[in-house]
Amino acid sequence: MQQVLEDFYKVVRSAGVKISPSDSIETSRSVTLVGYQNRSILKHALTVSLAKSLDDQHLIDECFEQFFKFDAFQQPSANDAGHGDDADDLTGDSENNPEQAQQDSEPYQSDTPLTNMLLERDHTALAVEMQRAAQEVGLRDIWFFTQKSLYTQRIMQKMGLRDLQNEIRALNDGSGDGDCPSNVAQAGQLRDAKAWLFEEVKDFVEQQLGMYGKTSAKNLREQHLQKTKLSNIEKRDFHTMHDLVRKMAKRLSSMYSKKKKRENRGQLDFRKTLRSNVAYDGILFETYWKSRYIDKPKVLVLCDISGSVQAYSRFLLLFLYSLNDVLNRIDSYVFTGNLISVDEIFAHYPVEEAIDKIIDDHGMGGSDYGTMLLDLERQCMDDIDNKTTVLILGDARNNNLAPRSEVLELAYQRAKRIIWLNPEPENFWKTGDSVMLNYRPYCHLAKTCNTLDHLERLLDELLKAATATV
Amino acid sequence: MPTRTHCMKDLYQETFSSIEDIKAHFEAANYICSDQIATCVYIAYNLQKPVMVEGPAGVGKTELAKTTAEILGVPLVRLQCYEGLDEAKALYEWKYAKQLLYTQLLKDKLSELLEGSNNFTDSMEKIHDQEDLFFSENFLEPRPLYKALHQEHGCVLLIDEVDKSDHEFEAFLLEVLSDFQVSIPELGTIKAKIKPLVFLTSNNSREMSDALKRRCLHLYVPYPEEKLESRILSARVPELSDTLRREVVSFVQQIRELDLKKVPSISETIDWAKTLLLLHASELDSATVKQTLNVLLKFETDIEATGDHLRGFIEKAHQKSKINISSKAS
Repeated sequence: MQQVLEDFYKVVRSAGVKISPSDSIETSRSVTLVGYQNRSILKHALTVSLAKSLDDQHLIDECFEQFFKFDAFQQPSANDAGHGDDADDLTGDSENNPEQAQQDSEPYQSDTPLTNMLLERDHTALAVEMQRAAQEVGLRDIWFFTQKSLYTQRIMQKMGLRDLQNEIRALNDGSGDGDCPSNVAQAGQLRDAKAWLFEEVKDFVEQQLGMYGKTSAKNLREQHLQKTKLSNIEKRDFHTMHDLVRKMAKRLSSMYSKKKKRENRGQLDFRKTLRSNVAYDGILFETYWKSRYIDKPKVLVLCDISGSVQAYSRFLLLFLYSLNDVLNRIDSYVFTGNLISVDEIFAHYPVEEAIDKIIDDHGMGGSDYGTMLLDLERQCMDDIDNKTTVLILGDARNNNLAPRSEVLELAYQRAKRIIWLNPEPENFWKTGDSVMLNYRPYCHLAKTCNTLDHLERLLDELLKAATATV
Repeated sequence: MPTRTHCMKDLYQETFSSIEDIKAHFEAANYICSDQIATCVYIAYNLQKPVMVEGPAGVGKTELAKTTAEILGVPLVRLQCYEGLDEAKALYEWKYAKQLLYTQLLKDKLSELLEGSNNFTDSMEKIHDQEDLFFSENFLEPRPLYKALHQEHGCVLLIDEVDKSDHEFEAFLLEVLSDFQVSIPELGTIKAKIKPLVFLTSNNSREMSDALKRRCLHLYVPYPEEKLESRILSARVPELSDTLRREVVSFVQQIRELDLKKVPSISETIDWAKTLLLLHASELDSATVKQTLNVLLKFETDIEATGDHLRGFIEKAHQKSKINISSKAS
């Protein structure tokens, strides 16, 4: 039974629930305690022990239904839990064989167990045999869809495919001599049975791939997405991307939001001081001060959504949206020319809708960084102080308009940090209408950023700097 | 101090011998629990693991702990968490005022004690001969966690709204929850006499750390389904007529489908049923519903949002109760 449980953990893990070794030990103890008699209680026991959140709970429920399908098994003689998976696959196709088998007047006796099982339509035994073979070849290690036929072949071999083939050949050869006409029918019947078995095993492997291979495929895709240029990511990956960005933003923010710093001035913690100074007869040698939470980073984000960065802006906005979710003190603006605050839109619409709305309402057109900076001076300069980090996302392609870098200089003097993330590589900064070089002296950090990996690394730095010295 | 920590399991074996038993006991105590809750309590009780109960407000998370304590006949020790809660409030505190007072009072005794000693070392020794009086349990103000560890016959420890506490406190809880022991520098490590049964409740206002989650069983209590809610209502408000109960449940279930700021939970359903009973309503009609809707919904905007749907909901509730009756009759 332990093996079955371990396989189940593996399935749950591949569905994306984290299970540590100690979790699995504790869960096994719970399962031993409640027993296997009652399906729903077993399910509850597994969920309460393994799940860490409501999402986990749903995932585990789903995995349970998929993994322990023994309700579908119509024969009461079903073996233990692990062998339930393939039950309905086998029963579903059972009509293929019977008629042919019945044509046989005298039952054919073979010495290979597989042939006998096929002829007797012993689905339970076949299921057991298949499960055993699957375990022996290590089907639970299946990763990718390309391995499907390999595993199918291996399972068939383990189940005794070779003997079956030999037998068919022998029957055919025998019929060639004209010895026994029933042998031909017998051989045909076995061939059909073999084909049927092959289909079944293939189905089974596919199903197992669905359970075990889920994460590896997903992880691979996510890794790939992280390294792909933002402009090359297709729209269908948008959802995955959103989850990915959200995860990243959340991790970053939780990493830097809970730090506490002890102040040595401010309000006296009288109780603590008194308590620790009782030893000195009430003379206050050691003083304790009420500690205060440090300020979380105050971030002002300006995001270019003009035509030239069109390919990126969806993802920059996506990132901005996720950042809005996890950071409290963030002001987000988009611009092509004038600055437009999008905090409202982010607060009221779900992600995709918000992004579409922003791009539809304000997007396209040529960017004008000069106007943007003037707007910045008018609208936000008062809010920029030595705790503010200003983050600008854009390519600085100014369409030959005035760059107004003096405004950025002013902001540079006031703000804690100015960070410019440019989707173009550095060699391009001095080409064409890019005014990046004008702005560069007034940025604490100006970097190329066109993959998620870049974004994460830069943001990590940003938050670290924002929290380290206040 | 006892060397071996007993657990509640040794003491109350008969009460919680099986999942069915637990369900029956809870039902007798007027708490209708689902299979999942019963299984979770059974495992928690037998494996001595804390239970983290999550779910919307008012579905009976706190009540679960209370009822468990009631069934086992042990005290319920409750620790309400809030931002800024620290060890001094949760575990113990020295009564420094009393300590100071006693030093003043005992000044004379002290000089008596030191009489006859000639030098400094001598006096020191004499003081050392006395026990460490000021840091003994007499001067210790026990707080909930300390109390829970000290119960002679075990107890149910309820750590309420643990998500409101700080990260530091959460980390501190880890030691308590995994080993049921705490270290007090002056007194040494204090171990639980009997390991308590622990319930932590959370409204998910912030994500708890993985370390804490890992130590707990996770139980999510959702809004109840219609059948379960009806049973809960009949257990809690037995005076309610069958027709009205069915109508109330159906009405509340429909309201939960709406997009509201605060969806009514079981406690609100019970309150509403009691209100209707008080008003001698025999069935739901729109006038009564309108008058009493503020029991069910806590925000003005929510009450306004239901305005248009009310009539439809009531009608549907009537139909449902009629169908139920006729199906029962047939």
